[in-house]
Amino acid sequence: MPAVSRSLYGYAGLAIALALVPVTGDYVTGLVAEVLIFAIFAMSLDLLVGFTGMTSFGHAAFFGVGAYVVAILGAHLGLNGWLGLIAAVTLSALAALVIGFFCIRVSGITFLMLTMAFSQLLFSISVKWRDVTGGTDGIGGFKRPSLFGLSLDERSVLYYVIAAGFLLAFLFLRRLIKSPLGSIFIGIRENEVRMRAIGYPVQRFKLLAFVIAGAIAGFGGALYAFFTAFVASDVLHWSQSGDAIMMVILGGAGTIAGPAVGAGIFLLLKNFVSSHFEYWAMVVGIVFILCVMFLREGVWGFAVNRLSTWFKRR
Amino acid sequence: MSLLRTENLTKSFGNLVVTKDVNLVVQAGERHVLIGPNGAGKTSLVHQLSGQLKPTSGRIFFNDNDITGAAPEHICQLGVGRTFQKNNLFKNLSVRENVRLAVQAKRGKWYDPLTLTTRDRTLWERADAILEMLRLGGDLDRPVRNLSYGEQRQLEIAIGLAAEPKLLLLDEPTSGMSPAETERMIRLIEELPRDLALFMIEHDMNVVFSLADRITVLYYGEVLANGTPDEITNNTKVRDVYLGVKH
Repeated sequence: MPAVSRSLYGYAGLAIALALVPVTGDYVTGLVAEVLIFAIFAMSLDLLVGFTGMTSFGHAAFFGVGAYVVAILGAHLGLNGWLGLIAAVTLSALAALVIGFFCIRVSGITFLMLTMAFSQLLFSISVKWRDVTGGTDGIGGFKRPSLFGLSLDERSVLYYVIAAGFLLAFLFLRRLIKSPLGSIFIGIRENEVRMRAIGYPVQRFKLLAFVIAGAIAGFGGALYAFFTAFVASDVLHWSQSGDAIMMVILGGAGTIAGPAVGAGIFLLLKNFVSSHFEYWAMVVGIVFILCVMFLREGVWGFAVNRLSTWFKRR
Repeated sequence: MSLLRTENLTKSFGNLVVTKDVNLVVQAGERHVLIGPNGAGKTSLVHQLSGQLKPTSGRIFFNDNDITGAAPEHICQLGVGRTFQKNNLFKNLSVRENVRLAVQAKRGKWYDPLTLTTRDRTLWERADAILEMLRLGGDLDRPVRNLSYGEQRQLEIAIGLAAEPKLLLLDEPTSGMSPAETERMIRLIEELPRDLALFMIEHDMNVVFSLADRITVLYYGEVLANGTPDEITNNTKVRDVYLGVKH
């Protein structure tokens, strides 16, 4: 089967599977919606970690900005959710531009620490600025918008909007990494010195990757605000950034589907284990360690490699 | 008019002076070889010409543009390509993608996030043409890490050429090669377009004298001599400090 039609079948299968989810009832639909939102978040982080070679530990900043922008503008100013979504993407991109401007000057561990510091800065603002953000109590009172007369308060409508948002982010990122711009990001991951020597202004492209990843994370955050209709400061907490890194590595850094799979594994473990066992994080931790030790390319990367050798053998 | 010119170029790391008052001229289309004993500061000099190192003082002009201390990407865009002494490639990418990426730096649409790179045939054709010029054949879709050392050296030059430079800086293209591989490499370099100026670091004296239009001898960061191969062979200072050691 040629590669093009194979991926076309893949997309069609994915779209149909996502479309059928609401049949399974509210509980599963809600769970899948959450997975899809965090999949967007993790995929956007992987653009930095897996494709451009920049390990950010502060990606929650942009998810949080996206979520807060929708909630704050909706609750305080009564702004329509769709406009809120556009504002969320714009402002998270802007936040990434400002934060990225400082962070791309360094690399490695320093970059990691600096991104974390910036996101913790936003976290403390969200905790302290109670009048606007509601602090740790969070901010509610935001009304979900409607689409073609169908209110997003309807669970299935909400789900389809989130699923569409996921597909949009997924297709965009898949396309991006095979585009000229994406090839530059990959080149930077592979060999920054050489990229400069052959004429690419590497710093500019690192900043661009940071802004694109921030905007997509903000998009995920906005959908999260749609989903919960409530945002509290924990969306900006550093552990949120850490969760995203775990999702990326579990599923497989440097693939687009991998982080989405990783988000699924992470949240399913969290949901199922936590209902039986208080220390669910320990189980997630063990799975993570096993994955790092034995599945270096992540669950998805492993599956893809296995399948492709299996197909070649036949 | 000179293509590349340096004026009193100096680079020091603390008390260690690696480049000292170097005045150098490379003419358009010239094949200029830089020789000197180990530690003479040859690679440091090349790093300054291509922007990897910033000079402490002095100036560098390329086509009468002052490029002193400019960023590597800027110098490359102006028309100075380079290769590295130690293979510095995109090891996990395919051979063709290595060159395509370099071609794209010169001719591609950098900010396009939506077209597939596979669609832009002109870049691939140009990459293939360069690979052919460097006699790199076989399966060009395999990752670079699977190439032999010698082939990786050839690819170094292919990537350097992709930027369509007017001047190519070659940092010891034959380093680590067997005599047979060296022979092949010299022939490849000889076959490069004559209008392309080369500034090349080389240790192998056979290579130096078979390729050079002009030779500069560097000794402890200073230019000891500069001239045609004949002038250099007959230069007593050079014989004493450099060639003498070898003979």
